[in-house]
Amino acid sequence: MANNPVDRIELLQGTLDMLILRTLQFGHAHGHQIAKHIQRTTEDILQVEHGSLYPALHRLERKGWIAAKWESAGRDLKREFKYYRLTPAGKKQLVAEESKWKQLTRAISRVMWPAQEG
Amino acid sequence: MWWRRKDREEDLERELRSDLELEAEEQREKGLSPEEARYAAQRAFGSVTLIKEDTRAMWRWTLAEQFAQDLRYALRQVRKSPGFTLTAVLSLALGIGANTAIFTVVNAVLLRPLPFPEPDRLVQIWETKPFQGYFRNVVNGLNFLDWRERTRSFDGIAAVDGGTTNLTGLGDPLALPGMGVSPNFFSILGVSPGLGRSFLPEDGLPSHEQVAILSFGLWQSRFGGDPGVIGRRILVDGEPNTVIGVMPRGFMLPKLNADIWRPLRIVRSKEWEGGRFLEVIARLKPGVALEQAQQDLRAVARQSAMERPESDQGWSAEAVPMLADATENVRLPLLVLSAAVGLVLLIACANVANLLLMRAAGRRREVAIRTALGAGRRRLLQQLLSESLILALIACVAGMASGYGGVKALLAMIPRERQLPRMEAIHMDGWVLLFAIGISIVSTVIFGLVPSMQISHVVPHAALQTGAIRTAPRSLLRQALVVAEVALSLVLLIGAALMLRSFHRLVSVNPGFETHQVLTMQMFTSPAKYLDNRKRAEYFTRMLEQIRGVPGVEAAGSVHFLPLEEQMSGSCFGRADEPPPIPSRAKDANFLVVSPGYFQAMGMPLVSGRIFQMRDGFGTRSVVMVNQAFAKRFLADRNPIGQRLNLCWTVENPAEIVGVIADARQIELQTAPQPTIFVNNLQAPMYFAQLVVRTTGDPGRMARAVEAAIHRVDPDQPVTHVETMDQVFSDSVAQPRFELILLLVFGGIAGLLAVVGIYGVVAYSVAQRTREIGIRVALGAQSADVRRMVLLEGAVLAVSGISIGLMGALALTRVLRTLLFETAPTDPATLAFVAVTILFVVLLATVIPAQRAAQVNPTTALRYE
Repeated sequence: MANNPVDRIELLQGTLDMLILRTLQFGHAHGHQIAKHIQRTTEDILQVEHGSLYPALHRLERKGWIAAKWESAGRDLKREFKYYRLTPAGKKQLVAEESKWKQLTRAISRVMWPAQEG
Repeated sequence: MWWRRKDREEDLERELRSDLELEAEEQREKGLSPEEARYAAQRAFGSVTLIKEDTRAMWRWTLAEQFAQDLRYALRQVRKSPGFTLTAVLSLALGIGANTAIFTVVNAVLLRPLPFPEPDRLVQIWETKPFQGYFRNVVNGLNFLDWRERTRSFDGIAAVDGGTTNLTGLGDPLALPGMGVSPNFFSILGVSPGLGRSFLPEDGLPSHEQVAILSFGLWQSRFGGDPGVIGRRILVDGEPNTVIGVMPRGFMLPKLNADIWRPLRIVRSKEWEGGRFLEVIARLKPGVALEQAQQDLRAVARQSAMERPESDQGWSAEAVPMLADATENVRLPLLVLSAAVGLVLLIACANVANLLLMRAAGRRREVAIRTALGAGRRRLLQQLLSESLILALIACVAGMASGYGGVKALLAMIPRERQLPRMEAIHMDGWVLLFAIGISIVSTVIFGLVPSMQISHVVPHAALQTGAIRTAPRSLLRQALVVAEVALSLVLLIGAALMLRSFHRLVSVNPGFETHQVLTMQMFTSPAKYLDNRKRAEYFTRMLEQIRGVPGVEAAGSVHFLPLEEQMSGSCFGRADEPPPIPSRAKDANFLVVSPGYFQAMGMPLVSGRIFQMRDGFGTRSVVMVNQAFAKRFLADRNPIGQRLNLCWTVENPAEIVGVIADARQIELQTAPQPTIFVNNLQAPMYFAQLVVRTTGDPGRMARAVEAAIHRVDPDQPVTHVETMDQVFSDSVAQPRFELILLLVFGGIAGLLAVVGIYGVVAYSVAQRTREIGIRVALGAQSADVRRMVLLEGAVLAVSGISIGLMGALALTRVLRTLLFETAPTDPATLAFVAVTILFVVLLATVIPAQRAAQVNPTTALRYE
């Protein structure tokens, strides 16, 4: 039979988009930096697959939530990277997704840990 | 930001490369060598191709692009293997074509609504006498009046008196289908004349002007489409009639066709008391259910029976939806044929699925490589299905073309005299095209999905190992498909064989008369000219004399209904020593009015007594003849000759039986001879007659001379339906022949497909097992052993298919029962014959691969790796 990929924590559908938008709130970044930032911040619990990252970036770009530009990296002027940054529409989208996410986690925790809720 | 496709590709490439480099740099910083760092980076990224594919999928037009790419690839595949393509397309085109052709007929005859407004509310009303087995009997005039006056369920009820009408005064006399109809006939149907006006209630009153409405066809052919025809006077049956309207083009009822309509007036008088000959149509009131109308009718019929027990006792009435009524006789055959072509298509699909499976097995490596390169399962499936779709597309076009040809061939097989109801409406329309496309898509899914599902399970590293292809032939599915093919085609072939046996029995029936060298034609004498019975009888006598004088004529006579045309009169009678017969209670027999000379012309032998003579006439006592069935049933205890009968027929009673004639089939070949009384046309002349002329030479060549003889007596009496008795006989079995030919063709196609299927599977398995066979031979197997092994493989498939098919046939051929003549749907001889034939043919098909296997050279086979 086929070798199934090793089990890992999979990002919920649509969550990656939100994480990318959130990461870009700190300023522009290229694909690699975005992936690394998410991994580092979550202490490597969330592995961002390159196979999902680039499609996601292009999807967000198409929706107009992020914009891209080739720029040279600060420390190495010879090399250019494709930097993404948040657009005003993206900012709005992030706010919307954040509140949706909050609602969702609150709802889930009510089910999972009912006693702790006031 | 939207830039051009090529730029986007380059951009993505550059983005991935830069990030990959960065990743590698980071790995180097961790202390890996440059080489190791690059590999590590690539591992972290996974398949770059897949990332690209997935990213491209985010670009809007990719889907269409993928599809175009798949189609291009599929077309390449199709061109690369013309043999495979041809076989697959041919199988499918046959299946789709057969289905399209049959559906074209089913659609036009059974499905398409009648061309009238709210056709669902139209019904035909019949009289029934259930305990004597009379259903759909024509209607008595007074009963019709009762229904019209007393029922509450109908918007309108109209009576139709169909028959032949003579149109004279326009050159050659013309005999046309004509009808007397109640004035509300057209308004019930909801159609008005295209020109002029419809009938008014006062039309048809005796004091009123005689009026007629013409069909579009008659108006075009005889009046040149001249609008001035309205108001013109024409001679219909010798009487002047004023044309008041022309019906629009294409107006016709499914069974009641006519070229001239005249108002029919039915009143409560002695004239309408006896006899049943009207057809009745009606329109249900909106919202009234058929069952409701049915109860209404039955209640009224019960009342009629109480009021006129002598003619109506035991009779009731039944309304049948008009479309169902018109198509009743063809529904079952058409459904059987639809099922048959459905099976053919299934078999074709199984065959193509098999071909695809075989090819798929050869393409495991290709698929494995694609998978290893990162092709997703969905993407693979999509590509394989698009190959199937290309096949189906070609097959669909080819199928529609062959369906078109098929419809033409079907229609050509139906004789002019025995048309299907609504046959004129048979043509391919949008629904037929939709149907053809629909079944093509369904077929694609059936035959395309099976191999696709299997192939997309291919595991790259297993398939890519050398020789792996050979060790894992997955043939169970293929074998199952072949078994199904054999089973399905067996069912079809058994159906066809049963029909063949039945048809053979049918045409072997001795009809009781000689069909060769007999010319027949129909004529209708104008009531205006020959109203007087004596005058009419004399006219017939003179005409027959003229015909007998034509050189080459051996005998000539007339009968009011020709045999084998599903027509018969019935009436009642009683022996003269019994009380006078009352219609509802007396004994029933068939009645035929024949002239002297009829039995000689038909070659029907006299059993005892004498036949009708020219001297029997109005001046002499009434004489009748009976057939053997009558003598046996009613006069078994006495000598029939000299017995006297009282007949419920317009003849002077009592009538004496002067002769007994041998039994002959009358209504149809399938129906055994029934007790029949023959009345002499000289003593009870009919208006219409079928002339029967026995000739010494080819009867077809005599037609003109006979017609000339008829017109020497009266040039105004038209002659129609000129046919030889052989043609009449052949036409009478046209429907079973039609069903038989189609089932044979479909069964043949199915059998051929199944044999090709078995051959393919066995041949392929031999090719796959060359190495194994080589080892066997090397280890000492004789070529006979190898041959037996392969033959056995074919035999196992065939026997499995045949067993399943036999069970299927036992369950399914029951629907054929009413289509079969003196043949049981489970006729063991037929079942066994077909099963053995299939087994034999299948074994024959496996002989070639078996031979090939037996010739395998172990050295070559083993070196092959």
